[in-house]
Amino acid sequence: MIRLSIIAALLASATAASVQAAQAPAEIKLGTLYASSGRYASISMPVFDGLKLWIDQMNAQGGAYVKAYDKKIPLKLIAYDDQSNTATAATLYNQLITQDKVDILISDSGSVLTSVAVPIARDHKMLLIDQTGTGATFFTPDNPYIALMADPVSSIWPKPLADFITHDGPALGIKRVAMLYATNDFTGTQANSVRKFIKEANSGVEIVFDTGVPTNTSNYTVLLNNIRAANPDAVVHLGYAGNDIAFLRNVQDNGIKFKFLFCIYPGLESELLEKNLGKKALDYVFTYVPSSAIHYQTNFGMSLRDYSGAWHKKYANAHVEFGFNSVAGYTTGLVLEKTLATAASLDQLELRKAIFSLSGNLKTLDGTFELDANGAQIGEITPLGQFVPGKNGSPELVTVWPHAVANAKPIYPRP
Amino acid sequence: MFLYSLLAGFLFGLYFSLIGLGLNLVFSVMRVVNLAHGDFLMLGAFLAYWLFTLFAVNPVPAVAIAFAGFVIVGLPLYYLLVPRLLRAENPEMLSFILFFGLSQVIEAVTTIAFGTSERSIPGDQLGRAVAVVAGLFAGHTVENGPVELLGNTFPASWVASGIVSGCAVLLVYLYLYRTRLGYLTRAVMDNRAEAIATGIDVHRVCAVAFGIGIGLAAVAGVFAPFMLGSITPAMGTEVTVTAFAVIVIGSLGNPLGTAFGGVIYGISYMLMQSYYSSWANVLPYVLLIVILLLRPSGLLGRQVRRA
Amino acid sequence: MARHLLLILLPVVAAFAILPSVYTNHLMLFNFIIFMTLAQGLNVIYGFTGYLPFGYVGFFGAGSYGFSLMVIHLQAPPFVALLIGAAAAVALALLLTPLLRLSGVYFSIANLAAALAVLQVVSNPNLEEITKGPYGISLRGVFNPTLSYGTAVAVLAATLALVIYLRNSHFGMALKAIREDPISAGMAGINVVRERVVAWLLSALIAGLAGGVFAWYVSVFYPETVFSVEFSVFAIVFVLFGGNATVIGPILGVVILYGIYNAVGISTPQYFQLIYGVLIMGLVLFLPNGLVSLLQRWGIDVP
Repeated sequence: MIRLSIIAALLASATAASVQAAQAPAEIKLGTLYASSGRYASISMPVFDGLKLWIDQMNAQGGAYVKAYDKKIPLKLIAYDDQSNTATAATLYNQLITQDKVDILISDSGSVLTSVAVPIARDHKMLLIDQTGTGATFFTPDNPYIALMADPVSSIWPKPLADFITHDGPALGIKRVAMLYATNDFTGTQANSVRKFIKEANSGVEIVFDTGVPTNTSNYTVLLNNIRAANPDAVVHLGYAGNDIAFLRNVQDNGIKFKFLFCIYPGLESELLEKNLGKKALDYVFTYVPSSAIHYQTNFGMSLRDYSGAWHKKYANAHVEFGFNSVAGYTTGLVLEKTLATAASLDQLELRKAIFSLSGNLKTLDGTFELDANGAQIGEITPLGQFVPGKNGSPELVTVWPHAVANAKPIYPRP
Repeated sequence: MFLYSLLAGFLFGLYFSLIGLGLNLVFSVMRVVNLAHGDFLMLGAFLAYWLFTLFAVNPVPAVAIAFAGFVIVGLPLYYLLVPRLLRAENPEMLSFILFFGLSQVIEAVTTIAFGTSERSIPGDQLGRAVAVVAGLFAGHTVENGPVELLGNTFPASWVASGIVSGCAVLLVYLYLYRTRLGYLTRAVMDNRAEAIATGIDVHRVCAVAFGIGIGLAAVAGVFAPFMLGSITPAMGTEVTVTAFAVIVIGSLGNPLGTAFGGVIYGISYMLMQSYYSSWANVLPYVLLIVILLLRPSGLLGRQVRRA
Repeated sequence: MARHLLLILLPVVAAFAILPSVYTNHLMLFNFIIFMTLAQGLNVIYGFTGYLPFGYVGFFGAGSYGFSLMVIHLQAPPFVALLIGAAAAVALALLLTPLLRLSGVYFSIANLAAALAVLQVVSNPNLEEITKGPYGISLRGVFNPTLSYGTAVAVLAATLALVIYLRNSHFGMALKAIREDPISAGMAGINVVRERVVAWLLSALIAGLAGGVFAWYVSVFYPETVFSVEFSVFAIVFVLFGGNATVIGPILGVVILYGIYNAVGISTPQYFQLIYGVLIMGLVLFLPNGLVSLLQRWGIDVP
């Protein structure tokens, strides 16, 4: 009996060892899409470049450490161009899963191009590594095959903004708020949240102008005139980068000075907006403080300063600006790096388990990585910041809310 | 609010007539649907951007450079594409597809060259030009800033592009009605077969019209960074659709009709944006359909129905 | 006609029925089916009557939304929802019948405007309660890739059968006579208006069914997804490339061009759009009547 069991144990360990040796793949295949042209190209390319930077870095060190095989394995990126076309994107996601048999499926940037991947990934039981697809409808209790890496889900983006207005606003004299938003999933959801947060706070702040415009609106002169007529203490504009550029240009060209003006993208894509609007246009504008402008304490990966240096070195001659989206792509990489180093196997649900085990513990240059039960990101919040004129003339972004991370007092009304 | 929307719509509309002007000329002369019109506009915009960032050229001289440059590009392009196309059974329909292909090529090449991010030229650049011109008229220096019209203020760049657009409409009108080549162009517009029979060199006439059409698109492009917020290689398609709405509302052939269409479009768009903002973008489409059905010839013009 | 059914319809349907077990990128196959259906649907109106509906995608989107809203609001079973989606597309086509009074490019532009207007209405946040506005559709409980794939094949089969019928029947001949010369056709006793409207509604019905199946298969989408003008453009290019008013032409167009599109997209993505644009231009300039015109030039009769 004893002899038998020893033989069995020997056999078992021998097969286990051989299985492990045989199974360790020569490379880990990561599949993703990007949009080199079309509507979503400007948000897709920086994310893609950020992800590529991480992969090159890993491979320069001989690959990523994979716990399942207890060794470093090179990463192989398989990436296709969906040209911002959702039907093409859908086919290509399928291509990645069924033909290339990628080990890890990473979606394209933004909600629209991510949306088609959600059911496909679920159908094929592949965990969708959602980079910046923040649509609230993606995250449901019945779908375990998705996790949001690098942006908070859109419904909680404006929490710090609304909290500031309702807590500190009335004392400063902010009673009447005007809100103008682009009617798409990303900014429409945020507008709903602002409305909800302000109503629930019941602090005497009222919304006196609340208007949605189509996302392809490129001209705000008439709307600005209407906002001015509503006589608001604070103006909140929620739109994509193109909307913000057009909006702020019109504000500037019309010589309007609102007492409080909030826009999303001056913080998120500062380089891009400064390039388009000049240095002066951002003075005293309130915005989200993204990870590309806050130096978070990290416990993993490069700090913001190092990453920005690496980015500008690698992409010195590219046409892509450094900003919050480029941080997002790299953050995805960091989460994956940690996941591979944690997961017991490359099984998709094991990967999921590993990712969820990072929740609340992983602190990257993007902030604290934290997921809710459905895989939506809730840790990497977007504090409220304000641009103030800096020493050398270029605007400087300071954080004003919440108090825990604030490093300056808000300037209200705008001088 | 009402007066403001009206005035803003008027200025904005003048610019939209400039956008439609070139498309109208090309379509009415050679029955070719230039689906790449918006992409030529985008190229003009990138030319202005490029001239400004590399050589600090103000957008006003850039207008002349863009026009001349694109007329020169347009002439060989005409001979390359259109005569071959017109030999086919149904050139009008095929031109749709051909120029769609061209628009894809233009967008792809621009994306490869410039990347995909938004670009623009600072608003005060046009304002400076306006201030200088206004200063000449007023006899004293005028400050660079918003312009006041009937007690309302508008961006200086709007006024500048409105004036240039008005001038462009006028110049095209003078070209068609006061020059010999323009006279021949109208003959081709009216009846191509007859024009050929009377010995007019139709290809020469058409090539010039094509060149001017594309040149006008490029001129409109120079103002795009100011009027449309910012520019990207992908902006063309939307511009083309709007340009269609404008020329359908106006009428084919006549540049004054296009100006009229542009202004109607601009004013109704601004009024919609003021009072029913989320529906503002439905307007051009509905307007286009209704006008086509009720007054198929635009507000002046020719037969477009059949059966 | 029986010969065409046997030689064209049967092989195509059989191919799409067998391929999933050989090739695992089912969605690519599904997209082939959808584009083939749309191309043939467009063939019905463009090939046989000469009207080029640039806004053909409007019917596709109407079908998608008709399907989805039935599922969301009334928990309708997929097949019922599919029929309602198709009905929505036909209703939209009925509403747009006055456009048939316009000629040539005017019709195309007005139709495109109509499709874009429907998109603006569907994605308007004021209608969020009904259409989910810009926030998009997410279907639960009906997701069934196998059944929806099978349904797509069935829709394609029905569409092909219709085109084969048109190609071989009096009705199809009458339509073509109207296309060539509406006045003489009218004098020859053909009810010009009625025949045209029937073709128009049939073509909308096909797009509506395709849209409904698409929504069923994809199940998460935004308004921009199903109203993307690229659907129209692709369908038009496929039909023109293959050759309109034939059964084979659009099939060839889809297989070859969409095949190249996918191959180029996967192998050399950076020049994807450029290559496709150049291809389209070359096609119009050098082969304006499509691939089948080459065969016809060599004396081969193409169904």
